[in-house]
Amino acid sequence: VTESSPVANREPTVLVETSTALPLVAIVVAERTGAIDDPVGKEGLARLTGRLVRRTGAGLTTEELDERIDSLGAALGVDVGQSAATFQGAVIERSLDRFAELLVSVLSRPSLAEVELGKLQRETLADLVEARENDRDLGQRWFRRKLFEGHPYGRSVSGTASSIPAITPSDVLSQYKGSLTGTNLVFAFAGNITESRANAIARRIVEALPTGEPRTDALPEPTLLPGRRLVVVDKPDRTQTQIFIGCLGTHPHDDDHVALHVGNTILGGTFTARLMREVRSKRGWSYGAYSSLPYDRHRRGFSLWTFPKASDAAPCIALELSLLEKWWKDGVTPRELAWAKRYLVRSHAFAVDTASKRVGQALDETLYGLPPGYHRDYLEHVRAVTLEQVNTAIRARITPEDLVVSVVGTASDILEPIRGVIPRVSSVDVVPFDSDA
Amino acid sequence: MPEIHSSPAASRRAAWIGALNAKAPIHGTVTHERSVPFGRALAVETFRLGNGLRVLVCEDHSAPVVAYHTWYRVGSRHERVGKTGLAHLFEHLMFNETENMKAGELDRRLEEAGAESNAATWLDWTHYNIAVPKDRLPLVVRLEAERMRQLVLRDPQVTSEKEVVANERRYRVDDDVEGSVNELLWATAFQQHAYRWPTIGWMQDIEGFSTEDCRAFYDTFYAPNNATIVVVGDITERRVFELIVQAYGAIPPSTLPYEDVHPEPPQTAERRVEVHKPAATEKLVVGYHAPALGDFDHPALSLLSEVLFGGRASRVYRKLVRELEAAVDVSGSVGPFHDPGLFEVYASAREGKTALELLEALDGEIDRVCEGVVAEGEVDRAKARLELSLVGGLDTVDGKASTIGFYDTVLGRPAAAFERLDMTLALTTSDLLRVARRYLRRESRSVVLVHPQVQPSGASA
Repeated sequence: VTESSPVANREPTVLVETSTALPLVAIVVAERTGAIDDPVGKEGLARLTGRLVRRTGAGLTTEELDERIDSLGAALGVDVGQSAATFQGAVIERSLDRFAELLVSVLSRPSLAEVELGKLQRETLADLVEARENDRDLGQRWFRRKLFEGHPYGRSVSGTASSIPAITPSDVLSQYKGSLTGTNLVFAFAGNITESRANAIARRIVEALPTGEPRTDALPEPTLLPGRRLVVVDKPDRTQTQIFIGCLGTHPHDDDHVALHVGNTILGGTFTARLMREVRSKRGWSYGAYSSLPYDRHRRGFSLWTFPKASDAAPCIALELSLLEKWWKDGVTPRELAWAKRYLVRSHAFAVDTASKRVGQALDETLYGLPPGYHRDYLEHVRAVTLEQVNTAIRARITPEDLVVSVVGTASDILEPIRGVIPRVSSVDVVPFDSDA
Repeated sequence: MPEIHSSPAASRRAAWIGALNAKAPIHGTVTHERSVPFGRALAVETFRLGNGLRVLVCEDHSAPVVAYHTWYRVGSRHERVGKTGLAHLFEHLMFNETENMKAGELDRRLEEAGAESNAATWLDWTHYNIAVPKDRLPLVVRLEAERMRQLVLRDPQVTSEKEVVANERRYRVDDDVEGSVNELLWATAFQQHAYRWPTIGWMQDIEGFSTEDCRAFYDTFYAPNNATIVVVGDITERRVFELIVQAYGAIPPSTLPYEDVHPEPPQTAERRVEVHKPAATEKLVVGYHAPALGDFDHPALSLLSEVLFGGRASRVYRKLVRELEAAVDVSGSVGPFHDPGLFEVYASAREGKTALELLEALDGEIDRVCEGVVAEGEVDRAKARLELSLVGGLDTVDGKASTIGFYDTVLGRPAAAFERLDMTLALTTSDLLRVARRYLRRESRSVVLVHPQVQPSGASA
C-alpha cells in the first residue's frame, strides 16, 4: 500500500493498492465521525446525514442520482459506525473518470433537501420497527446498551423512535459541515487504478470541500458497572433464544492486546475452539457458539454469542459461564497456544489476499488510530506471544464477576430458569422487545 | 489415434499427463477435455479422472492461496417424502469422523493449516469449499478424498448433529418470519416436484433420521462420478494432478441411481395463503413459476427482475418504498435452479399498511411492464448492475471457484457466468416484454399474505 499526502496544506491521507487482476476500482472516502458524535437526544444524526448526502448529492434528485450511478456500472453506499463513516464506491474501470466526477459532486454539493430528509426519517423509523423481527440484533443492541451504560458506545447508531423525529435540517447541515471537510477525510483506493490517478481524484474531492478542522475524539474510556447484570428481552412465541454474555474487552494500544486476541481465539474464535466444541459438537445445543473481541478507537466489548432452543437456554448459560470462569482461572494450555499461533499465522494469508483487504487494513490503522505498523507487525507479535502473556491478559482484562448477560426469548418460559443459573446476579431487567432501545 | 497438440502449453500438458498416467492407480488416469476462457485474463482447464471425477483448474497467481471446492450433484431434490433434509444433514456429518480421523479432527487440521472452510446445500447440489495458503494444498486434497469414501457414521454423532440441525432450523426458519414464509411459498407453488420441500427439511423428518438412512445416502451419492472438484489459485495444473491422482485414483465409481423426477404440472389458477406470524408488520411474498437456469428465457427474466427490483432506482422500489411509502423494503429474484423454479418477490409493509395494498401496487408495476413500457435507459442500467455484480464477485479465489463450480454443476459449463453476461448485454426491451408476458401471469403465481399476530402487550417487569 502506498501512502501519500498530495494536497498542499490540506494533507489528506491517500492510500492506494493497485491490482490489475480485475477491471474494477474500489474507492473509500472515510470521515472521522460517527455515532459517538451524535448529541444526546439526536442519536442517529451521523448516519442520517451520511445517507442524506448520498441521496441528495450533485444537485440531482435521489432517483436521478441512483440512475446515474447504476448506469455507470458503479455502486455507492454509505456506512456509519460508532467512530467512522465511510462512503464506499465500486466501479467498472472504464467508467472511473465519470464516477469520480460524480463522487466529487455528491460529496461537495448535496442539497440536503428537507423533503428528502423527511422521507429518510420516516424510512428510518420503519426500519427500526422492522428490526424488532431480528432477534440477534435485539440481543446485541441490549447487550451493548447495558455494557456501555452511560457511554456513547451504548447508543444506537441508527437512532431511536424518539431521537429520529427530533433531528432537524439544521442539525444535519451542521453535522455535514463539521465532518465532510478536507482535513477530516481519509481516502483509500484499490484495484485497477494508479497512484497518480488516485491522488488526482482525492485532490479534486478535497479542493471541492472546505478545509475545516480534523475532528478530535475526546471521548472518555468506557467503564463497566459492577456486578452480574441480566437483561431479558421479552418476545412472544420464541422457540429459540439469543444469548450474549460479556464484559469490556481490549484497546489496540494495550500492551496485552495481541495476547488477549490469541486467548480469545482459543476460547471461541474458531469452529473448533472451546465454546463450539462444548456447546455444539458435544451437546448439539446450538448451531453456533463464538466469542469476539472487536477493536475501535476506544475499548470495546468482549462477548460470547450462542442461540440454543428455549429449553436449553439455562443449561447453556450455565455451561458458558463455567467455560468462561475456567478460561479466566486456569488460562490456556501450551498445546492450545501453539495451535492458535499456527492458525492465526497461516490464516493471515486471507487477511491480505486482495487489494481491497490490504488497503482496508491501512485505512483502519489511520482511521482508528491503531499503533503504527499494527497490521504490518501482526504476525511477528502473534509469534512472539508467550503462554504467560496470554493467561495474564485474560486475568487482567476479563471480569467474570462483572458481566452483562443479554437474552432474547419469551420471558415467561426462560426467566426463572436463567436467573437460577447465574450465581451472584446483581440485577435483572425484563424489557419488551418493542421498547425504544 | 494420436492426439495433435497445437501449442507449447498443450504439449507440456500432454507430457505430464502421459507421465502421470503411466503409473496411475486403476481409476486415476487423467484426460484433458478442454480449455475454456474465464473472463479476459484467466482460463478454466477441464479434466476427468478414470473414475469419472470431474476436475476444473484455473491458475490465478494474484495471491499465494488456493481454493479447493468439491461439488456433489446431490441436493434436496434427490430426497423423498419423509426423508427431507437428509442432503443438508449429511453436509454436517461430512465434518465428522473418518477411518483415519476421529470426530472434530478434520476441522482442527484444516484450521491449523490456516484454512477457511464451509459448506452449503441447496435444491440441486451440495458444495464444500476450502481455501488454504498454497503450501497446504496437499493436506486439503488428502482430507477431501478421505471423506469422499472413508466417512465413519455412528449413532452418537448422528444424534448430536440432528440436534444441531434442528437448532439451525429454529434459527433460520421457525423463529424467522422471512424464512418460514419462504418455506410456505415453495410448498404452495410446487405440488409434484421435489422443490416443494425445504432444503433444511421438515422438523419431524430431521428428528426421525437414523444412522442407517445416512449411511445409505452416503453410499449412493458420495462418489467420484457424482462430483466435481474446482481448484483456483496460485498452483500449476500439473501439481494439482500429482496430488489428485494419488488421493482419488483408487476410489471406484458408483452406480448412480436414476432420478425419480416429477415435473411440476402447469399452474392454471392463483394460489393464495394467509397466515399470522409474530411479525412487526404485514408481509407479502409472491412466487411466479419461472424457467430453469439453462432456459433461453432465464437471462431475460433475470434482467427484467433487475429492472423491477435491482436497487433504489428500480421500478418497484421506487413505487412501493419511495412514492407510496408503503413498504420498508422490496426484493425480487429469479431462482438459479436446474429445473424450473420461482421468480420470488418479497415485500415488508410499513406500519399501518397492508400486504394487500402492497400486492395491488406490485400488480400495477407488473401490468406496466406487460404493457411494454420499459425504457432503454432502464435496461442499460440493469445490465450495468449485473456486470458489476459479476465482476465484483470474482475478487477472491473462493469467489472464482464458487462461480465456476456453480455453473458447471447446474449447467455443465464452467464459464457460463460470462456467457450469460454476453447474452444479457445483447437483450432488448422486446425480450423483456416477451418474458414478462410469458411468466408474470397471475394464474401461475402463488401469494402468501402475512399478518402480525395479535400479541399481548409488553412484558412482565
